[in-house]
Amino acid sequence: MTETSVTTDPAAAPSVASNEPIIAIDDLSFSYDLGKTNTLRNISLEIPAGKVTAFIGPSGCGKSTLLRCLNRMNDLVDTAKVTTGRISILGQDINAPDVEAIELRKHVGMVFQKYNPFPKSIYENVAYGLRVQGIKNKGILDQAVEESLQKAALWGEVKDRLDSSALGLSGGQQQRLCIARTIAVKPRIVLMDEPCSALDPIATARIEELIAELQEDFTIVIVTHNMQQATRVSDRTAFFYLGELIEYDETQIIFGNPSIKQTEDYVSGRFG
Amino acid sequence: MAHILKNYDDDLSALKDSVVEMGTQALAAMEKAIKGLSTNDVELCYDVIDEDERIDQQEKKIDEQGMSILLRFNPVASDLRHVLSSINICRSLERIGDHAVNIAKRARKILKAGELEEVRLIDPLVLEARKIVSGALTAFSDVDEQLAHKVIEMDRAVDKIHKALSKSLSNKISGGAQPTESLLNVIFISRSLERIGDLAVNIAEDIVFITSAEDIRHT
Ligand SMILES: Nc1ncnc2c1ncn2[C@@H]1O[C@H](COP(=O)(O)OP(=O)(O)OP(=O)(O)O)[C@@H](O)[C@H]1O
Ligand SMILES: [Mg+2]
Repeated sequence: MTETSVTTDPAAAPSVASNEPIIAIDDLSFSYDLGKTNTLRNISLEIPAGKVTAFIGPSGCGKSTLLRCLNRMNDLVDTAKVTTGRISILGQDINAPDVEAIELRKHVGMVFQKYNPFPKSIYENVAYGLRVQGIKNKGILDQAVEESLQKAALWGEVKDRLDSSALGLSGGQQQRLCIARTIAVKPRIVLMDEPCSALDPIATARIEELIAELQEDFTIVIVTHNMQQATRVSDRTAFFYLGELIEYDETQIIFGNPSIKQTEDYVSGRFG
Repeated sequence: MAHILKNYDDDLSALKDSVVEMGTQALAAMEKAIKGLSTNDVELCYDVIDEDERIDQQEKKIDEQGMSILLRFNPVASDLRHVLSSINICRSLERIGDHAVNIAKRARKILKAGELEEVRLIDPLVLEARKIVSGALTAFSDVDEQLAHKVIEMDRAVDKIHKALSKSLSNKISGGAQPTESLLNVIFISRSLERIGDLAVNIAEDIVFITSAEDIRHT
């Protein structure tokens, strides 16, 4: 990773004009078995900065795989391989040899379906990413923890118990804590893989509201199986089927009047 | 392609059937009122007035069906347009029913006042009104966008005939033709038929919205 590309200091990351794509995926094919079969095939799409983009499609179509390509989480699979195309984030080819996955993930954070706080205090969960970056100053950490918890709409509920275990929080609170942990390092992009699927309707509504607020500071890409959720939270929606991008457009169009029949069949429950 | 949820398909087609049925009732009411007038049959006029209640009830039923689908299945895309348009269309049909009642009431008055030769002057307008309403209903049940556009076109003829007719009747009244009240009632019937044409156009616009997602009202 070079200084001119994605740098360690998020504030120094190159900015993109609001109409420029922050993520540009060009003809991407991806394989889990060293190229024998492609799980993702020739996907091209541009994700605008400061917007919420939803990925939808039937189970197994490759939404999570694509999401994990964006912060190179698939590197963890030995036989995983990008077989064609490229992904540029903030203008940088993220699979270029000089790009470290760890560096990339500072800019591209991820929130998972199953909330997964560390078995540590609430405070330490949020401070974790900053400590990993070597920040030790208590004042800076305190401020970052409060700020992140505020942004994650959790501060009021936990400010008097920052030292108690994160595992004592409710599911919805744990998920918001994970969001706080993710945004504490100030990524530019937050990836969310079905962040509400384990939550009740009220906790879900909280997270949706949070997504709307976070949108001011972050670019969000969310995978969801909840069509109503996609219509509520996202600006743009991409529909995938069997590893291919079928249609990508404004969310209003995807759910109101999609151009492709396959999309309409899927969003209106006519699949199978 | 069918929905995965069979109930969803069943409810959507039941909604459509209800709208078609209401359309048939509204068209029948209009025909009956006109027939009452042209065959000197006051009973038919009373029937139309009595039977309007059924059309109103059908409107309520369609509202309930539409609401239940919105609530349970969260329709999107063309399904959503179908439900919204069905509810809109039943508003138009209810008003066509009301105009049929207006026609029946005017017809009753005309018949009570004695035979009126000018009544047959509305025949060409009746023909056009029948054509435009049944066109709108067919366009709905066949989801036929082309026919819907034709229906919108047909309204010109309806307007033209109505204008000419009310002008010539007004002239007759000015010229001293009698009985004035009956002639005025023919003008009112003509106006109801013209309004029925407008309502058929509204229905056609809703059909275009279903098929193309374009809102062509007021364009
Ligand atoms: N680590 C892996 N190794 C091999 N194959 C995998 C791996 N992860 C996913 N796959 C396969 O890749 C395909 C896409 O899976 P992916 O998890 O991306 O789908 P998805 O769209 O997220 O589905 P869901 O909605 O069920 O989460 C599937 O066929 C899956 O079995
Ligand atoms: Mg997935």
